Amino acid sequence: MICPNCGYDNLPGSEECSSCQQDLTQLDRPTANNRVEQSLMEDRVGLLEPRKPITVKADATIREAIQTMMSHSVGSLLVVDDDGRLIGVFTERDILTKIAGRPEGWMDLPVGPFMTPKPECVTSNDTLAFALHKMDIGGYRHLPVVREGKPEGVISVRDMLRHITQLCREI
Amino acid sequence: MDLAKNLRIDSVSRLQPSGPLQVRPDQTVDEAIELMRRDQVGCILVCQGDCLVGIFTERDLVLRVLAVGKPLTIPVAECMTPDPVTVHPKDPITVAVARMEEGGYRHLPVVNEAGRPLGVLSVKKIVHYLVEHFPTTVYNLPPDPTAVPKAPEGA
Repeated sequence: MICPNCGYDNLPGSEECSSCQQDLTQLDRPTANNRVEQSLMEDRVGLLEPRKPITVKADATIREAIQTMMSHSVGSLLVVDDDGRLIGVFTERDILTKIAGRPEGWMDLPVGPFMTPKPECVTSNDTLAFALHKMDIGGYRHLPVVREGKPEGVISVRDMLRHITQLCREI
Repeated sequence: MDLAKNLRIDSVSRLQPSGPLQVRPDQTVDEAIELMRRDQVGCILVCQGDCLVGIFTERDLVLRVLAVGKPLTIPVAECMTPDPVTVHPKDPITVAVARMEEGGYRHLPVVNEAGRPLGVLSVKKIVHYLVEHFPTTVYNLPPDPTAVPKAPEGA
């Protein structure tokens, strides 16, 4: 690590220059190499204009949930409690893995036991990189955007791809 | 590491599409679901012999089977999406992304010139490709570096 002040070659990772005591911590911060990287590091989730969240109560029936999915043409619903706080998500994948093939009458069961509880969330002030990383690690296609525990929107993988490919075209 | 350029140069096969999980059109929805659950995937290719004829996804299951009260014993052919949009393994990644965006698809079957399915490209593979492109430090930075945890770690 070359000290920008005096040019002394410090050990990598040093916090301050051993020659002139200049603070070196800033040198460890990654810097953006191009427009896309810069946007990922600096732009916030709010920029993607999160879509309005589509919610159901945990005690709603699966029939109601499927109807809500159909009428809004979405594959995932946010599950909220009586105070409107996010407690889970209910997706097509939950239907595929936990519900299809159950004996008659499953349509009238509540969503609660079949939802995926405690989903990973972001806030509208998180960076795009942070959100993209969460999507990659968990394999999520959607992330709820929350404020003080209450959902205020949803961002999808597609919103993110659209943003990145648009930047690539502009370069 | 120029992302815009690499998206145009790198081909779909670079993303290592997952192996083609497939059923015949006359197999039942029940059998298709079992395979999808086993491999933990959201879609399955419907193939007649060596030829791709359709795709069956979790959305088809919900909208065309469960929501309309059909039994799981109907053949896949009745509820699949016929003639899906596909990509060739040599197509650049930009083409795959554009096709996904256009149709709102999360999966694209990868087929060769003869129409034989080689795999499925999911949107997750593309996300992972993007993430691979940037140093992990970019992603590991907390959104608010000045935030301090309320309780000491391990407390």
